[in-house]
Amino acid sequence: MKNQWIEFLSGKVTVRVSGRGIERFLNVLIRNGLIIWNVKRHGTETVTFTMRLADALKIRKYARERECSITFLKRAGMPFLFKRLLKNSGFIGGAILFLLIIMFLSNVIWGIEIKGAKPATEYQIRKELDKMGVKIGKVQFFVDNVEGIQRNLTNNIGNLTWVGVELKGTTYHLQVVEKKEPEKPEQLAPRNLVAKKKAVISSMFVETGQKKVDINDHVQPGQVLVSGVIGKEGQTQQVAAVGEVWGETWYRSHVELPLETNFFVFNGQEKQKHSIILGNLEIPIWGFGEPEFKEYETDKNVKSIHFLKWELPISIGNETLRAREEITRTYTQKEAEKIAIDLAKNKIKNEVDEEAIIKDEKILHKELKNGKVILDIHFKIIENIAVGQPIPKETPE
Amino acid sequence: MKGGSFFMAKKWGLRVRNWMAQKMDLPQDVMMDLPRITMIGQIHIYIENHRGLITFTDKELRLLLKQGQLQIKGNSFVIKTILPEEILLEGKIDQVLYINENPGGTK
Repeated sequence: MKNQWIEFLSGKVTVRVSGRGIERFLNVLIRNGLIIWNVKRHGTETVTFTMRLADALKIRKYARERECSITFLKRAGMPFLFKRLLKNSGFIGGAILFLLIIMFLSNVIWGIEIKGAKPATEYQIRKELDKMGVKIGKVQFFVDNVEGIQRNLTNNIGNLTWVGVELKGTTYHLQVVEKKEPEKPEQLAPRNLVAKKKAVISSMFVETGQKKVDINDHVQPGQVLVSGVIGKEGQTQQVAAVGEVWGETWYRSHVELPLETNFFVFNGQEKQKHSIILGNLEIPIWGFGEPEFKEYETDKNVKSIHFLKWELPISIGNETLRAREEITRTYTQKEAEKIAIDLAKNKIKNEVDEEAIIKDEKILHKELKNGKVILDIHFKIIENIAVGQPIPKETPE
Repeated sequence: MKGGSFFMAKKWGLRVRNWMAQKMDLPQDVMMDLPRITMIGQIHIYIENHRGLITFTDKELRLLLKQGQLQIKGNSFVIKTILPEEILLEGKIDQVLYINENPGGTK
């Protein structure tokens, strides 16, 4: 038997034949290789049957030779469906356009929400975002990815400690932490100021409290510098001692620096590759072939297409291949020493307060071993050594 | 005499074929050009090796065979498929009759 669906695909026509000698007419058709089916008799002079669309055109020729008249009744199958589809193409076009518009709009930035920033900072962030092209109404593809935005913002806006950028659907949520939050007025409990490390006092500035040490005094950690107990004997009063005590402290630092270092640098050459990613399948659309440079790093960036709130399994990938070169940096011993000292200084600066000053440095030991400069450096640093310590309650009032 | 010898030759050929079919265990319909009829209950009848339509109404189907005709009677007949040598008929089949060449009938 024939496959109904194949007939449906190629199209079929129902034909009515009326006249005399229909059987002979059918025999002629069959012998000429026309395939007919569903032959039905209607009354004495009429027969209907179904045949292929391609054969229907030939049937007239045979009918003309006989006394039969032919009427085409029903047309079915893909060709007719397709014809109708074309006729109603407006609807289909509309439907496709509708989906496309929704898809397009799902990939547009519809909102930017900034949380945790003062109005001034928020304004600054908005301006910075505008500069980057992150604006309401922009398409997400042409905008940097979330990490990029985050990096840009933290680099370009001074008073941001951290900014978390998150893309939720069509809205960017920015969580901002500013460097200087408005200070809360401190409610100080009665306290002493004590030394936090061994030092020689170089200068003192006492706001409240009773000075207990003098300049050039040698102090031990935990020693009281400024007492919070003030007033005459017998009429004492406990207050919070406030002040700064600057003392000279000592640090030792050990640095090793190789004279030769290998590292990679980008030389500016790059190659862009674009692709469409369907699930696990990646179809390159632009940028074929291997890059002309050998050593390179690949930076991959995938942007998924959204439909309403869903992420489609289709995404657009963008690869940047950056050429890199290996560079050997060589220092002379003198340069290496200088850089080693700088390194040591930076290391020390990380350990002490921001306000601390490096007064003096002295190289204790210097050695060149295995192509490395090894230095032991002694630093003299002036820093605030005072820390608050609550006054132990000896005499309850 | 010429026609007679031709007739003889034809008969001779037929006998050879019949003999071959019997001795070599070959299907008779292939060897002898006989119709092969398959029926499924009363609803379907499938005839192979026919030689064309003679009559088709919803109560009767007549087929030309190599020798004689085949008449099928019943009601609400529909030809589901028809090919040069095959036909599938659907409907309610009451009778299947072989009509041998009637003297003076047209061939």
